[in-house]
Order: sequence, then structure tokens, then C-alpha cells
Amino acid sequence: MILLLEQLLNGLQYGVMLFLMAAGLTLVFGIMGLINLAHGSLYMIGAYAAAWTQQQTGSFLLGLAAGLAAAGVLGVALEMAILRRLYGRAHLDQVLATFGVILFANEAVAMLFGRQPLMAGLPRWLAGAVEIVPGVPYPLYRLAIIAVGLAVAAGLYGLIAHTRIGMLVRAGATHRALVGALGVRIGLLFTAVFGLGALLAGLAGALTGPLLSVQVGMGERILIATFVVIVIGGLGSVRGALAGSVLVGMVDTLARAYLPGALRGVMAAADADALGAGLSSMAIFILMAAVLLWRPRGLFPTHG
Amino acid sequence: MSGLLEVRGLSKRFGGLVATDALDLAVGAGEVHALIGPNGAGKTTVIGQLAGELRPDGGSIWLDGADITRLAPPARVRAGLTRSFQVTQVLMAASALANVALVEQVRQGHSFRFWRPASGDARLEAPARVMLARVGLEARAATPAEDLSHGERRQLELAMALATRPRLLLLDEPMAGLGAAESAAMTALLAGLKGEVAILLVEHDMDAVFALADRVTVLLDGRAIASGPPAAIRADPAVRDAYLGTP
Amino acid sequence: MVETPRQVVVLLASFAVMAGLPAIAAAAGRPDFVTLGSQVCIMAIAAAGLDLLMGRTGLPSFGQAAWFGLGGYTVAILAAHAGDGSLPGWVTGAWFAWPAAILVPAVLALGIGALCLRTTGISFIMITLAFAQMFFFLFVALKAYGGDDGLSMRRRNALPFIGPRDDVGFYYVCLAALVLVLLVLRRVWRSRLGVVLDGIRQNERRMLAIGLNPFPYKLAAFVLAASLGGLAGALHVNLFRFASPDLLHWTQSGELMVMVVLGGLGSLWGAVFGAAALVLLHVFLAQWTEHWMIVLGPILVAVVLLARRGVWGALGGR
Repeated sequence: MILLLEQLLNGLQYGVMLFLMAAGLTLVFGIMGLINLAHGSLYMIGAYAAAWTQQQTGSFLLGLAAGLAAAGVLGVALEMAILRRLYGRAHLDQVLATFGVILFANEAVAMLFGRQPLMAGLPRWLAGAVEIVPGVPYPLYRLAIIAVGLAVAAGLYGLIAHTRIGMLVRAGATHRALVGALGVRIGLLFTAVFGLGALLAGLAGALTGPLLSVQVGMGERILIATFVVIVIGGLGSVRGALAGSVLVGMVDTLARAYLPGALRGVMAAADADALGAGLSSMAIFILMAAVLLWRPRGLFPTHG
Repeated sequence: MSGLLEVRGLSKRFGGLVATDALDLAVGAGEVHALIGPNGAGKTTVIGQLAGELRPDGGSIWLDGADITRLAPPARVRAGLTRSFQVTQVLMAASALANVALVEQVRQGHSFRFWRPASGDARLEAPARVMLARVGLEARAATPAEDLSHGERRQLELAMALATRPRLLLLDEPMAGLGAAESAAMTALLAGLKGEVAILLVEHDMDAVFALADRVTVLLDGRAIASGPPAAIRADPAVRDAYLGTP
Repeated sequence: MVETPRQVVVLLASFAVMAGLPAIAAAAGRPDFVTLGSQVCIMAIAAAGLDLLMGRTGLPSFGQAAWFGLGGYTVAILAAHAGDGSLPGWVTGAWFAWPAAILVPAVLALGIGALCLRTTGISFIMITLAFAQMFFFLFVALKAYGGDDGLSMRRRNALPFIGPRDDVGFYYVCLAALVLVLLVLRRVWRSRLGVVLDGIRQNERRMLAIGLNPFPYKLAAFVLAASLGGLAGALHVNLFRFASPDLLHWTQSGELMVMVVLGGLGSLWGAVFGAAALVLLHVFLAQWTEHWMIVLGPILVAVVLLARRGVWGALGGR
């Protein structure tokens, strides 16, 4: 029971991380109609910049700032140099070009930092645990991530519900011509939206550093989980991204925590662990298939 | 009255907007029935529901005594109900002949054959040429659709719809974008189909409507405000107020 | 699809080079050219199948590596079981193992394709990628078949007249398979089925309005592409006598897409040139620097932004 509470919080924490990724990806798709595989690369860049800066300076907060700055600046540069030429092009072109960007980014990071994972520790003021209920300690850092993620979700809600950018999100990509006719400086707006998505990806990457090892390929792992989130939530919907993130985070975490144990009841321990590991890494994809059978356009389908 | 097409109490809402409001409509075999009304009256929504692209919220659609309300679009075509599009939807990279031959192939139902070439197959191309001749495009058979003029593409669109051998044609603004001479030619073409295939015609060109229609239904805010022979509709004061205006 | 005279000349010349490759390799003292040639043929089979789905039907699948890997693992797993005696030895005959490597992906693609085809556009791209990743994780977790470390195959599947160590013979088998696949696909391209697939790509709404339900045809293309992916995977594992989860890695799916686009989307023959270009690029860049991907990435971006028609279109000269 106590363990369950911990696992639920772990699931929520992973879900929050996925949301930071999914929100940017789905905003960029909703407004610009662009599928950006290199979103995972921005996450990786954020993680590397943060971990490296923290190693050099010993300051977690400086690392966090560096992660945000690196992902934001490189994201905007990427948009201006390459991606803006891809708006309105076939999705296939977008996929291939951003695939090329991933190959480049992964190799560049490997050349700069080597293939060995980078480790980033936690500062003392975040390293402890708090008792969430009497007798149940839970890592403070993971709670902090949850808080940051929920704050970002609230901020995005405010942005979408109450600002011009939000109006454009709600109007959706199909009304791009109309938006142009309203006299919005569309190029600038797109760059800003993309930059926001890049910042969120960088934030996710920087926050991940102390939890997982920072290494080449980390971006694609979370990117593919993010795709599952978006397919489940409904393409272009930030609300769907939030629901999908929490769902995927929970299912993945709970499957990893409980499936091997459940299988041990019916088979030998070694077999159960191997099969359990396999099945639990497939769990989110099975969830996706089930949602698609039920609702082909996701939980929160957008119009158009 | 028992018609080829019978629509009973058809209703469709988009959020708070009532697009189709308890619409009754009947088209007899071989009859040309015009559906007119101002922009936003809900004509295209009606066509969409009849063709099966939009699901109605209420009411039923019957074709020759069979309930087709829940049939998917391709099944409706096989049952004898075919639509044309307001914005031309032809395969731009294919020739005029290939476009119509493809319809013929789908109608004959042998599209899983994967060995013999489709182009040059007389079983497909002979009937396709007949259809092209009917709409006056036989000389342009080998031309890719992307090189046809707008008017010619409208003719091709009609040929493709006719090639499904429908009993009822839903024509969504067949004159859209045509010049005066082209419109007259299209009107003559449609007049030639009279008696052979029933037509539900959505059109803004009133000359064409009154030249072709046996009956006219006037749509306003999703409701039929009048229905009858063209002369009666022209004289109806409510219609004049709502739509035709003072000439 | 009608080839221009220049394209026909290039095709015949390419075929002559391929047919004479072992002799060229022997004369140059480079037996590794034969392996390279086999690799080109194998990737071309997978890419040609993918072109039927991506180029002809308009369905860009980002999960083609799943079928490639499933085909490869099918022959490797059959060989492993034959090796420890849990299956009879004849399952390692090519006459049995290769059709099995085509059927296993085909059957799975029937189910997964039916699910994926409920979505369109970007969702289709994402979901095919996700399902492929699911199989990737499955093979990583299957410790009985090597897990992360992969599964080696003691010898190639038995073929009549060709010994298990006969690399040149195996090359000709791959070349023959490629030629056969291309000739069959060329007929499919121009057949009634091919015309319907092309219609679905150009304007699905129109196809519905002329009475066609596109779903079974899309599914047929999906399954056909998966089958050819499975065949290619089986040949690949035979060539290197080794299967690993890398076969199913998502970058493999991406590279297959790149081959199709590089060669010329929807042109069939282009897939061969795209496969050759990418395989050779790999080898030569890898000789030059271990960080060859840092060159390949920008090349991809440039190809997408600048060279829309691909190699085959450029050869056509129009």
C-alpha cells in the first residue's frame, strides 16, 4: 500500500516529464502543422548543457539555466535555419529532414562529450526526502519536478485561454491563412512558439539529468514515448497531451513495478523477470493500441 | 408519395448551430429536383449527409425503399447514389480516360487484380470512352487532368459520377466557376440526362435551375420553406422575400 | 510508369555491373565488394516494398524495420532451435525458413496494419514508429534469444547448389531475389491494384465517392511491404549470420524511408538507387571518419530541401 503510493507518485513524475515534451510537440504541430523529430534532440541538449555546467560550476541552478538557454537558443536557430522551410511541406519531408537533424545532433554531442554517460548529482538542498504521509519518505527532488510540471501546465492553460497565441492555438493550423490575414507577424509568432516548445524540452532534459544518466540516444527514447502520449491524447490538443502524459506515465511505471512480481506467481522467478521486463516495456504501446481501437483520433480530438 | 429518394426528418447540428432542421425531401425516379437557398442555408450539409460523409443527428434516408441512413459512402454509391463535388476532385496526374476507366474498374469490382496492366484494358477503356463522349471530352481522353481547363475538369467530374451508373446523382454546384457559354453547355448536358437518371441539383445559377428542374425546394436556415414546381416557387412571396429578391 | 530511354539505358548498365560484380571484385582483389553488393540488393528489396506503401499508396510508414527484424529473427530463431534439437533440421532449409520469414511479418502486419490504418497523416507516422519500437523492446527483453547481445546463426540456410560458405553464390541469390521482386512489383504498379493505390494516394475522398472502400487496398499494400521487409531481413541475417535488436532500431526504419525518397518517391526503380546510394555512403563515410553520421545528417536535410525528385527523377531528365 505504501509502495503503491510511491509508485503512483513516480508515475505522476514521469507523466509530468512527458507532458513537458508533449506540450511543445503538440503546440508546434497544432499551430505550424510541423512534425519535429528533433524535439528529442533539444531535450538531450538541455540535459547535456545542464549536467556539464553543473559539473563545471557545482551549481544546480546554473546548470538548469544553461540547459534552458542551450535548448532555447539552439531551438530558435534550428527553426530559423531549417524548420521554417518545412512548414506546409509534406509530413514525410518534415520527418526526413528532422531525422537528419537528429543524426547530426547525436553525433555532435558524442564528439563533444564522448559516449560515456554524464552524471549530474543533486545539490544538498534538494537531495533529501520528505514524509508525504507519516512514515513514508519520498524524494524531495521528484516532488519538485511534479510541482514544476504542474506549474507549467497551469501556465500553458493561462496562455492558451487568455492570450492571442492561445487564440491561434485554438483556431488551429487549418486557419493559418486567416491568421495571416489578421496581420499577425506570422514568422515571428512561429519562431516564438517553437522557442517555447524548445524551452520546455530543455527544461525536461535539465530536470532529468539527476535522475537518469545523460547519454546520446536519450532523446529518441523519450520522443517515442511522447508520440504515444500524443496519439493517445489527440494530435494538437494540449489538454490531450496532459491526460495522455499522466496515463502513459502511470501505466509505464506501474507495469514495471508490478508485472514481474505478478508473473512470479505463475512461473519461475528468472523467467518471470525476463518476460515481465519485456511486457512492461510494451505496456504503453498496448495501451495506445487499445485507445486507438476505441477512439481512433485520441481522447481529445481537435477539429479539422 | 413514393420517390426514389426519401428523406424524413433529417437533422444535423454543429455545436449550437442547426444546419439541417427536420428536413423532408423526396426525389422521384428520373426527376430533376433543385435544392436552392442563400449561402449558409445548409445545402452542402444536406449533400454531405445524403452522400454519407456526414452522420445525421436524426431522421432517415431511404433509397428505393431501403434505409441507407447508416451506410458508408462507398456502399451508397453501389446502391445507386453518387455525388459530384463543388470543388473539382479528379486525379490530377492521370489522363481524363484513366480517371473514368478507374471508376469503371471500381464499378466492375476487380481491383485486387495485380498482374495485367490496367491501362489499355478494353473492358475498362471502351465504356470509359463512351462516358467521355457523353460529356463531350472524347477528344481530350489522353490529356492529363492537370492540363485540362477548369470547364473541362467540370465535365470530367460529371463523367466520373455518371460512370458509376447512378440512379440518383447529387450534383453540388456543377456550374461553379463556369463562364456563361460553359454554363449553357453544362445545362444542355444535364438536360440530356433527364428521364434517365434522377438528379438532386444544388445550384446558384437560377437560369440553369429553372431550365432543368421539375421541382424546386428552397432551403433557409436548414429548413425547407417551400417546395413545388418551378413556376409556383418563382411566384411564392415567401421565397421572393427570403432569397430570390426582387428581379 | 513508363521509363524514358535514358532510364532504360541506366537500368541495363546497372544490371550489367551488378551481374559482373564478383568478377570485378576478384580482379580488384576486394572480396568485400561482394558483401557490399549483397547488402545493396537486400536493402533495395526492403526499400522497394516500402515504396509501394509510401510512394504508390501515400502511406509513410516509420516502422518498416520491425518487419525487417521479424523476418531476420524468424530465420535465426528457427536455426537456433534446429541447433539444439528442439526442431527438426529441415526448418533451416531456405525453402522453409524464407517463406516463414515472409509469412510471420505478413500475419502480424495484417493485425497491426488494421490498427494503424485507423489513423491518417502524422498519427500514422507516429503509430507505425511506436509499434516498431514495441517489437524492438520485445527482442531486447527476450533473453532466450540473446536479448541485447543478439543471436548468431552457425551457418546460412541451406540452398540447392550453393554451399553455406559460398559468398558469391549467395550474392547471386540476393540479386536474383531483387530482380524478381522488381519485376513483380513493376506489374503490380501498373495493374488495377496499382491504379487504385495511386488513386488513394492522390485523392482518397474521390475514391470513396466512386464507390471504393480504400481500407482493404491500403491494408494489402501494408502487408505486401511488410512481407518484402521480412524477406530482406531474412537475407540480411543470412549474409552476416547474426540477428540483433539493431535490425529493428528506429534509425533503420528512418534509413529505409530515406532510401525511398533519395531514389525518387513512387518510382520503384528509384528505391534501388536510393538503397545503393545510402549503403555506399555509409561505407565510404565510415572509412573516412567514425563520426560519419555528422555528415549524413546534413546530407539528408539538403536532399529533402533541395532535391525533390530523387535520383531516378533526375535520371529521367524531365
